Amino acid sequence: MLRHLARIAVLVLASGVACALLVRYAPGTMVDERELDRRLSEENIRELRSNKADVLGNFKRYLVGLTKGDLGYSQSNNAPIAALIADRAPETLREIGIGLLGGWAIGLALAIRRTWAVSAGMGLLLSLPTALIAYLCVMKGAKSSLVLVIVLAPKIFHFAGNVLAQAYTALHVEMARARGVGEARILVSHVFPAISPQLLALAAASVSMAIGAAIPVEAICDVPGLGRLAWNAAMARDLPLLVNLTMIVAVATTMATTVTAAISER
Amino acid sequence: MIRTIAISFLIVVALMALAPVRYERQFRDSPNAAPSKQFPLGTDDLGRDRLSRLIYGTRVSLLLATAAAVLSCLGAALLGGAAGFGIADGIILATADLFLSLPWLFLLLIVRAFLPLNVSPMLSVTITFLLLGALGWAAPAKVVRAAVRKLRGSDFILQARAAGCAPSRLLWKHLIPNAMPILWAQLFITIPAYVLAETTLGMLGLGVMEPLPSWGNLLRELGGGAIHPWQFAPVLLLAAVVGSFQVIFEREDYSV
Repeated sequence: MLRHLARIAVLVLASGVACALLVRYAPGTMVDERELDRRLSEENIRELRSNKADVLGNFKRYLVGLTKGDLGYSQSNNAPIAALIADRAPETLREIGIGLLGGWAIGLALAIRRTWAVSAGMGLLLSLPTALIAYLCVMKGAKSSLVLVIVLAPKIFHFAGNVLAQAYTALHVEMARARGVGEARILVSHVFPAISPQLLALAAASVSMAIGAAIPVEAICDVPGLGRLAWNAAMARDLPLLVNLTMIVAVATTMATTVTAAISER
Repeated sequence: MIRTIAISFLIVVALMALAPVRYERQFRDSPNAAPSKQFPLGTDDLGRDRLSRLIYGTRVSLLLATAAAVLSCLGAALLGGAAGFGIADGIILATADLFLSLPWLFLLLIVRAFLPLNVSPMLSVTITFLLLGALGWAAPAKVVRAAVRKLRGSDFILQARAAGCAPSRLLWKHLIPNAMPILWAQLFITIPAYVLAETTLGMLGLGVMEPLPSWGNLLRELGGGAIHPWQFAPVLLLAAVVGSFQVIFEREDYSV
């Protein structure tokens, strides 16, 4: 347990540092429009630049602030980051929640009742990029949460379908069938217990997929969530905001992976 | 049968993409023209032939994805192979975990947004190619690492070592030939993933820049204004190409 927690902490911190370094060394980062303000003295400009250049110092100050619940200030949004995240997170959580629930319900149901036509349809959706699916849904006036369902369902169908197909060829399943056990009972009592570790791993992966897909979906569907916030922060090179968002994403994905790994170990 | 059709289709698309076309030529008298004998897929807002742009865009997208996949797989082979041999195993594994702790699409979009946006078309191609290649090594490297570790403990390797086979011979004659199917599989799994990634980047305005066409920026047209059925030609081609890759490599068994 402690080892898992330590791993999460190290990965999250490393993601934060990597993101901060990326912003610092990205072309154009040291150019600040505020430097053009005539009221600023040479000393003020030097101070502005040194604040930006000291990445590790800034990260250390950020971590100290984090212990006091202060996530910093977003220059591009002119608002405290904690307030921004609190404002946007519910929308993204709702989107991802609906996407995951819908994607799993449809993907798993179709994987159980797999037919050639369903496989072909899901294969077609799997061949389309997330951004295109979002465009097509916007064109049809569909809700943005539906986009994540459409993006996730084929992936879950594909993986779960392969795992299920393999599980149905197991000897104990064939034996149960030969004894006349019903299909529903075979599925619940013999197939699902056998494939639960793989399904748990897929559950963790689907969280990561949903978070990744949320950015283009929110950017294209104009959803005021964390994905759009991250997109705007990247475009505006808002270092404090982007470090926070990267760490939130890293926490969510590593937590999902670790929790499912711990459950499947048991 | 279906795999043969898919392979044949991919070969036809690859050959078609090599056709000499002038994607940048403007027919200023015929902007937004409907399909005709002269323009089988019509023309765009600037009077450029959509079919020529689709053909050249296919070349750009497929070449870009393949080149980036080769770069990723080379990185994966080097790093995964070294880790499999126990060289800097912990560091390589930790770095791969760091890359994998963030969703790939998130990482790709954020990193691309930090690079210069207003660049020449050729530079945008290079940036997209390097970015895809550099960020996609982690997952294949883990597969290669696992395969090399398994191979190292296999009977024929142990026998070769017991017979006094030199490490370099062991590597070139026994390990690499047996690890190649895994690398090939990773390469052909990665190509369609990179095609889709380039398309997503292009649709968000972060991929290949105009006037150079790619599937990404061709599909971007669907984002605004009136949409005509013939504008969906890139969607069909993209779905058919990625679908063909899925058909070909879905059931392949590359386990060592």
